[in-house]
Amino acid sequence: MSMIPVLVKREFTSRAKGTSYIITTVLGVLVFVGLSFLPPIVERFSASFVPDSIDLLVWEHPGENSILPYLEQVSQEREGLTIRSASGMDEQEAYRLVLDQGLSGLLLVDGPLYTLVTTDGTNMMLNGEIESIVNRAVNRFNAVRLGLSAEDMASLFNRVELKVREVTPLGEDGEELDSTAQSQAMVLTYFLLFMIYMALVMYGNMVATGVAEEKSSRIMEVMVSTVTPLELMLGKIIGVGSLGLLQFVIWVGTGFLMNTMGNTGVLNTLFGSSEILSTIPLDIVLWFGLFFVAGYFFYASIFAAAGALVSRVEEVSQVVSILMMMIMVGFFGAYTSFLNPNSAFAVVTSLVPFTSPMVMFSRIVLGNPPVAQIVVSVLVLFLSVLVGAWVSAKIYRIGILMYGKRPSLRQVVQLVKG
Amino acid sequence: MSLVATAITKRFRDVTAVNNLSFTVPEGSLFGFLGPNGAGKTTTMRVVLDIIKPDQGQVTWRGRPFHQLGRGFYGYLPEERGLYPKMRVVEHLEFLGRIHGLDRGKAQAETRRWIERFDLGELSHKRIEELSKGNQQKVQTIGTMLHQPELLVLDEPFAGLDPVNTSLLKEVLLESHHRGCTVIFSSHRMEQVEEMCDDIVLIDQGSLVLNGNLKQIKRSMGRQILRISLEGKQDFWARIPGLRLLSSRADYQELRMDDGVDPNDVLREAMDAGQVTRFELVEPSLDQIFVEKVGAGA
Repeated sequence: MSMIPVLVKREFTSRAKGTSYIITTVLGVLVFVGLSFLPPIVERFSASFVPDSIDLLVWEHPGENSILPYLEQVSQEREGLTIRSASGMDEQEAYRLVLDQGLSGLLLVDGPLYTLVTTDGTNMMLNGEIESIVNRAVNRFNAVRLGLSAEDMASLFNRVELKVREVTPLGEDGEELDSTAQSQAMVLTYFLLFMIYMALVMYGNMVATGVAEEKSSRIMEVMVSTVTPLELMLGKIIGVGSLGLLQFVIWVGTGFLMNTMGNTGVLNTLFGSSEILSTIPLDIVLWFGLFFVAGYFFYASIFAAAGALVSRVEEVSQVVSILMMMIMVGFFGAYTSFLNPNSAFAVVTSLVPFTSPMVMFSRIVLGNPPVAQIVVSVLVLFLSVLVGAWVSAKIYRIGILMYGKRPSLRQVVQLVKG
Repeated sequence: MSLVATAITKRFRDVTAVNNLSFTVPEGSLFGFLGPNGAGKTTTMRVVLDIIKPDQGQVTWRGRPFHQLGRGFYGYLPEERGLYPKMRVVEHLEFLGRIHGLDRGKAQAETRRWIERFDLGELSHKRIEELSKGNQQKVQTIGTMLHQPELLVLDEPFAGLDPVNTSLLKEVLLESHHRGCTVIFSSHRMEQVEEMCDDIVLIDQGSLVLNGNLKQIKRSMGRQILRISLEGKQDFWARIPGLRLLSSRADYQELRMDDGVDPNDVLREAMDAGQVTRFELVEPSLDQIFVEKVGAGA
């Protein structure tokens, strides 16, 4: 009779009651709740960069062509913009007026030379805003000078949009790519990708630490005298995995809840509109599930073996650092696939099992990778899960009763061969 | 014979921990596993229970190799004690019962029974890490026998226990023995082994020194120990060749006779030296056997 259910239950219940698990779960919930209040906060926050009212004093070198009327035209179209003329003042008086009345700035116009004198020179948002105001005025000024009508102006600045269509090797004409759908898919993929990344890092580490804890508390010898090392390892991996799943369900559930509670919900922020949530394609969910589970099993068994190689919990971080690096490469590979799902780097990393759970997933969601590549990637990953579990179980079996100096890589290879 | 180890050898890199060791444990016996520190007792126990694989040799239980038997039919107390520190006593015992194959109800019932038996009632809802070392050991010992195993293997089960708990554990082991369970335990306290065990194995440097029934072993060693007490010259024996003083106590002296020494000659000499109040030929104690067999090298 397999003891895995008993082991999973122990792993799950004893950890779920642990302080650290409860704290991270609650913190995660708080983050999700906090995120849903983010839009109004961000709105208010970014609003403070650009003041609603811009009060600009304009001082022009005397000459024939004054820009002032055009600036005033712009001010009639843009709310909160006040243009004052400084004609008749000298420069010193103009500066004083800006300081005394707390104006946004003094615009010095000298032929083609425009200078903003302000008390708040590092406010990039304000500078940029005034620059665009000035340019709008200058455009109008130039249009009049060249004798262009309003229609001419409109057609001059008319922008066209580039539509993208994909053609598949089969010769069919692809559907037109909807750029908003594409960017929504990117946000969704990024979110799911980040979940895979978090799961691998957090729960992989939890597995390795758990194994090292069992070694350092010396419970290991009792355990291996009652269950096989493979059962022990699988019990731990499944136990920690279900713990992680519960945490994610709680977090995402919180997000959905916040979403339904108000239309300022977190998922709203992430996806732009709440409609997209009901339209998450089922195939994306299935692909996510596949790569999430397979990737977790693959990494968790290696993390377990790594934990079995050390004697004390403090040494865990040293042996898992290389695994963490592999996960980061995977995340990076997935990120490059955002920019171009078919770049050489993305293709290669989507086939290697260490990185494929993240890269192939994002390639599938964002692009249309060749079916052969998907098949190869999934097969390699599945095979690697089996081989990884087998090799890890071997290392685990010997490592768990080995104390003292950590074995070198060569000794580990010998263990696996022997 | 229930447990038979045949020519087991286990090497760790260049150290041979167990060397071509064979021994048998009779079914239902209380079996003493003896050896000086570093003799390979722990390694032997691990090999016997299929926790580590031997390089050579095999171990069978009732004629079947251990690795075919599946786990959990025995109970094992390793020398290195260890429990999950965060779990509560009741939880932990139930868990140990379950992984030894009990269903949930039976595990709970047995846990209650044993907690009472070992007087752990007040501690039953404390975390393991809050318990004293001795109490942790009690919990772990209970964990080996919740499921009433056919075989108990206990590595130094008495180490670290106070006299009250020592006699309690002794009682429990004897009970298991009467139930028909085969009990193997190691100990450094020879008088305890002598008191409890029918059969022993003695190993040194990974090799067999003695194995068999303790009474027969003692008999085969010969009655070559003399206990004498007399009023008079205590050092009379120094004139007789082939005699060695083993110990000198307030009530008697113990002498060891080499082969060929006639006890009657010794008695005559003693009577000449003074009033003899005690003259006895005894079998060697396990302690003496132990020292004689492994003491020279140790």
